[in-house]
Amino acid sequence: MPIRFSWFAVLLALILAGLIHIATVIGLPQVAPQNAWNRLQPLADANKLVVLPAASPAHQSLPLMAPDMRYAFCRYDVTRGPVRISTQIMDELWMIAFYLPNGVNFYTISGGDINRKQIEILISTESNVLLDTETDALYESDDVVGVTAPENQGLALIRVPLAGSSYAERAEQALRQATCERVVPRATAPEQADNQAAN
Amino acid sequence: MWKLLTIIFFAGLTLFVGLGSAWQMVDYGSALTTGKIGPWSVWYSAGSPNADPYTRAHFARSGRLPITSTSALYYLATTDGDGSELTSECEYAIVGSPVDAAWWSIAAYESSGRLIPNKASRHAFSSREIALGANGGFRIVLSREARPGNWLPAGESDQLQLVMRVYGPRTTDSAVEGRITDKAVPSIRRLSCL
Repeated sequence: MPIRFSWFAVLLALILAGLIHIATVIGLPQVAPQNAWNRLQPLADANKLVVLPAASPAHQSLPLMAPDMRYAFCRYDVTRGPVRISTQIMDELWMIAFYLPNGVNFYTISGGDINRKQIEILISTESNVLLDTETDALYESDDVVGVTAPENQGLALIRVPLAGSSYAERAEQALRQATCERVVPRATAPEQADNQAAN
Repeated sequence: MWKLLTIIFFAGLTLFVGLGSAWQMVDYGSALTTGKIGPWSVWYSAGSPNADPYTRAHFARSGRLPITSTSALYYLATTDGDGSELTSECEYAIVGSPVDAAWWSIAAYESSGRLIPNKASRHAFSSREIALGANGGFRIVLSREARPGNWLPAGESDQLQLVMRVYGPRTTDSAVEGRITDKAVPSIRRLSCL
């Protein structure tokens, strides 16, 4: 006896297939095991800047990395307060892109957007902006770019497109001097100093 | 018994159609999410906070971190202009004019995404180092054997892919924010095969 054909079954199968399709597409960013966040997370502690090795046939930290670019990243976490990234900007090609853990690029700034050789970026969420005179001064400074992150955690990725191969070493050296660290408000600084002394 | 077989058949068909169509549209894109310019494909909403679910799923699955298309564009080619797969057994000419952008680059990879091992350690040509011809355009030769001029080694692997990155595009298509005009994308022509 052949499988019985039923228009109702076909319609039901199509509706269910559509639902599976939608659930798969929407759920994928949350469960993709090899997304960029999961690849970079083991490479660095939170609020620490790490220079990624140049892409080569033997190694790429992320898929399809540009061989003629240098990268550094910081996995920031502003749960306990704002995080400051400080880096040299050698030319207009430098680009700092901010991502949510799901890979959405919510903010980008390039060397061409600013006219200076050094940049300080203060990342915070709307709820954890520090109420401290010292950091208030930071926010108000023309030398500091404030970035409001939609979520507490995310990635800041510095890209340096190379202006010729001779530029690579200088770019890597500049990236190694870049920093990413939590801003410690003055009010809690003595406590932290005590903790450090105890350790 | 037949009723059970019918249910199993339709359940299998449902899963196949649901998962298969999702996989197809996430991995390869569709007219809703990707543009096709000759052999090059581009995800127009890559990295954008307003990206559609297919684009988000595509990049989450790929593990890449694209910059949003108003600041950077990524074109990917796995075939030549005639639609034949790029392979290291053939020689190709990539011909175009410099893109009006802060920086652009064309890099070659194996189909797995690995950079192609070669003695020259040459994997890409960027706008800052490519040699231009008398007409102001460029010509890159992608081949196994060394060639004069802009030679991009194809190595010994089978299938290849090319990625063109455009950072800070200045002349953009009025139809789509951040998109460069189609004629600014280079052609890929097969010259010969082994």
